[in-house]
Amino acid sequence: MLSVTALALTGCGAGGGTTGASDDELTVLVEGGGLAELQPIADLYKEETGTSVKLVELPYDGLYDRIQTELGSGSVSFDIAALDAIWLSAFADGVQPLDDLFTDDVKSDLFPGLVTEAQVGGNYVGMPIFTNSEILYYRTDLFNDETNKADFEAEYGYPLAPPSTWEQYTDVAKFFTRDTDGDGQVDLYGTDVKGAVETEWLATVSQAGETTMVLDPASGEVTIDDADHLKALDFYTSLLPYAPAGAAQLDWAGSQNLFYQGKLAMMRFWGHAYTQTPDDAAVKGNIGAAPMIAGPGGIAGVPGAWYLSVPTATTKSEAAKAFIAFAYENNELSVDTSLGLVSRISAFESQAEVEGKENYPAILETLNSPATYARPATPQWQEIVNTVLTPMLQKAVEPGADNAALLKEAKAQIEAIIK
Amino acid sequence: MIGIETNRRSSRVLLWITLAVVLVIYGFPFIYLLLTSFKTPLDAIAVPASVLPSQWTLENYVAALTKDGVAPALINSVVTAVLSTVFSLVLAVPAAYAITRYRTPSGRVFVLAALVTRMVPTIAVGAPLVETMRTLGLTDTSLGLAIAHTTISLPLSIWLMSSFFESVPDELEEAAKVDGASRLGALWRVVLPVVSGGLAVTAIFAFLASWNEFLFSLLLTSVRAQTTPIVIANFQTQFGLDWGAMTALAAVYSIPVILLTLALQRHIVAGLTLGAVKG
Amino acid sequence: MRITDRRFALLMMAPAAAFLAAFVLWPLIRFISNGFFEISPIAGGPRDFVGFDNFVAAFQSAAFQGASLRTIVYTLVVVVLEFTLGLGVALIFASLGARSAVFRTVFMYPLMIAPVVAGLLWRFLLIDNFGIINELLRQAGILQSTSQIGWLSDPNIALFSVALPDIWLTTSFITLVLFAGLQNVPGDIIEAAKLDGARFPTLLFRIIIPLLRPVIAVALIVRGIDAARAFDIILIQTNGGPQESTTTLSLLIYRTMTRYGDPGLASAMGTIYLIAMLVIATVAIFAIWRPGSDR
Repeated sequence: MLSVTALALTGCGAGGGTTGASDDELTVLVEGGGLAELQPIADLYKEETGTSVKLVELPYDGLYDRIQTELGSGSVSFDIAALDAIWLSAFADGVQPLDDLFTDDVKSDLFPGLVTEAQVGGNYVGMPIFTNSEILYYRTDLFNDETNKADFEAEYGYPLAPPSTWEQYTDVAKFFTRDTDGDGQVDLYGTDVKGAVETEWLATVSQAGETTMVLDPASGEVTIDDADHLKALDFYTSLLPYAPAGAAQLDWAGSQNLFYQGKLAMMRFWGHAYTQTPDDAAVKGNIGAAPMIAGPGGIAGVPGAWYLSVPTATTKSEAAKAFIAFAYENNELSVDTSLGLVSRISAFESQAEVEGKENYPAILETLNSPATYARPATPQWQEIVNTVLTPMLQKAVEPGADNAALLKEAKAQIEAIIK
Repeated sequence: MIGIETNRRSSRVLLWITLAVVLVIYGFPFIYLLLTSFKTPLDAIAVPASVLPSQWTLENYVAALTKDGVAPALINSVVTAVLSTVFSLVLAVPAAYAITRYRTPSGRVFVLAALVTRMVPTIAVGAPLVETMRTLGLTDTSLGLAIAHTTISLPLSIWLMSSFFESVPDELEEAAKVDGASRLGALWRVVLPVVSGGLAVTAIFAFLASWNEFLFSLLLTSVRAQTTPIVIANFQTQFGLDWGAMTALAAVYSIPVILLTLALQRHIVAGLTLGAVKG
Repeated sequence: MRITDRRFALLMMAPAAAFLAAFVLWPLIRFISNGFFEISPIAGGPRDFVGFDNFVAAFQSAAFQGASLRTIVYTLVVVVLEFTLGLGVALIFASLGARSAVFRTVFMYPLMIAPVVAGLLWRFLLIDNFGIINELLRQAGILQSTSQIGWLSDPNIALFSVALPDIWLTTSFITLVLFAGLQNVPGDIIEAAKLDGARFPTLLFRIIIPLLRPVIAVALIVRGIDAARAFDIILIQTNGGPQESTTTLSLLIYRTMTRYGDPGLASAMGTIYLIAMLVIATVAIFAIWRPGSDR
């Protein structure tokens, strides 16, 4: 038995390098969104250099698990991986520094939050290929309606417009929550409240003026029970009366769904959706986009960026880096994809006056806001989200929740995780 | 089929009604899946949900089947599942036969070992298997994936075949041996035909284990051997869920298995009837 | 030369044994040995021997205790409901004889559906205000509003809700296996009992179930083992939530391994799980099936 165990232990280092693909081929692991974004760039790369770039599409969670498994084993079947921002610190030890690619020109053309986020342990470990941010969606038909305008101004004393602050958001949400067909049941809500996903609350935390979201990975200090977090949670849950029931299970898809069905007057949602409204949506043609709302700290969103990284174990490092440089240079090609997101400020600005791209200025303003912060760079982030933040939010959206107590409890749980 | 089969008319009617109710409830989710596949994208996720499409469309099927990678994935699924079923049966039949017929201590140990295999959480073998496949040069091949899937189906196959062999009386083989047949000959010519229904059932489950498997496919395949469950899951991205197209591909993906089951159904019934006559 | 029965048996088992040793046992040994190390999630990092520390940590972890309890509840719910429903339907099929053949095929449909799809499908059936089930219940007048039952959002019932698709998917398996077994129940024994005036319950509990014992054992043990390690179906429906109420051991082990980057702790948890399953199954196997023993 002992010898078998010994054999097992020594055997762990076994395993070859990259699979036997030819030199003029690169394998890139991507999620569905990354596939759409990178395809035109890969096509152009093939045309210009003869190197074919194989994009392997995997489901979101599956992509993480696949990369983790391969990096853990020390031999990889891919040359580049598209990583979600929150994965960077978990995979930082298994990917190569890309410091050469981050020249001053590059850094000045990326949102400050992304430049910070790309750096883990003093190295740039990923190059952002596109970034998202939540923006405010609203129903133009409702906001432009003369009766609504008059009624709103009469009731609240200022003109009806897409809200830009918490107070306005509450007013407008309250105003639109109503029974439109007179059957005694509320069928239009001012907003939604998402309990099954955490990012929107994190954006609210930044809006409250918090500069250290949830925790400071460097010092290990957990800030989730401070005044700004509580303020954010109180505001977040104060919207429950103006939102449909079932908040605890409401996630992104659910919220988008409600909005398209015409059940919501406003929705805070990721910027990419603006160009993707289905043709049969009840609200098609009546959707407006504005920057994310501002709290006491100003406008803030959470940058949702994806990065290209090169695993240490690949044998094609140089070719992989060459492609990443190429992808950065041709970032604008992604504008016309189904997702239509880019990472360079210049690429966002190039669409400033383009009709049908009203989401670009909204994203730009949200991401350029000084109150916008990236999520903390800790390898345990996913665990904190799954076991602390989401359950905490789900409890907070229940009736009679004690927000302060929930945050205190969350602090203890996070401290136990990061030890 | 005498014995359990009832002859009273009143109880037959009652049983048919019960069966109908059970089947309607049981079939509803699948019917709903099929109906959803004919809804327009937004209708598919409407609130409040409706059972019937407000407007019938084939849009989802077009979207699903023209998606890059769907056609190769369907082929990969067939190749992998067939290979895995063959591996599973070829390995399981002799083993199960030896376990039930010879009752040696090694047989008991083996049954437990197979059982342990079944208990292992998939991820526990998944990660090391990734390295094994790379060492063998089988990463991203249908053969490698089929081997991985066989680790899931083999224990069940051994178990199922054991229980089917167990229901075959020893006298049957004794008679064959008296006629001069070798032990393998007796298994091949006398015992296997008797358990052909059991073989069919075992084959179906081995096939299904591979056909629907997700985690190994995720970890072991990339460009060349990716199977359909991964592609189905890909309709849900971080940026949206194409529920209509997903249900359409799920419906398409069910067709080969339904055909296979229908084809084998006759064998199953034949095998079972033989067993009943013998009983 | 005539080889002995024992050697013949060994030869027959050898290929399957070799296969399982290479592709399951070997990975498994490596997995178990990982439980004694503190391992960096990225290759090339430290790998320190820590003895039983991971096992102690697992036992002390509230997450592990909770997940263990949930795994037991989940498995019991699934197996009991599946067996009751599966046996009932198998008996109906057997009672109706050959004419039920088409329906037997119909009943097998869910088995053909990938768990990934089934999980999503049931999420759509059950999810609070979008779900068709609550909508149908509301139309039938049973519920006042579609948000009255939070199948997947109420932590008190979510564990039962996520079990539904598992039951839906695999009751067919039990039915199929039991139906096959019923075909081998000698008709004359039943006839004789009927002539003696035995009623159906007597027939069921005194004759049919005892005769089906080996088949029932296979069905229950296989399903019990599978239900205990149910994974993708729960992952897709609730991802372990709400408030961890559906995080069973298989999810916890998987998460700890990939998401939380602690392969050592995950291996320790997996090893404990495996030992517990082994003990339970061994008891079950020798109590009801007795494979390879004298009949």
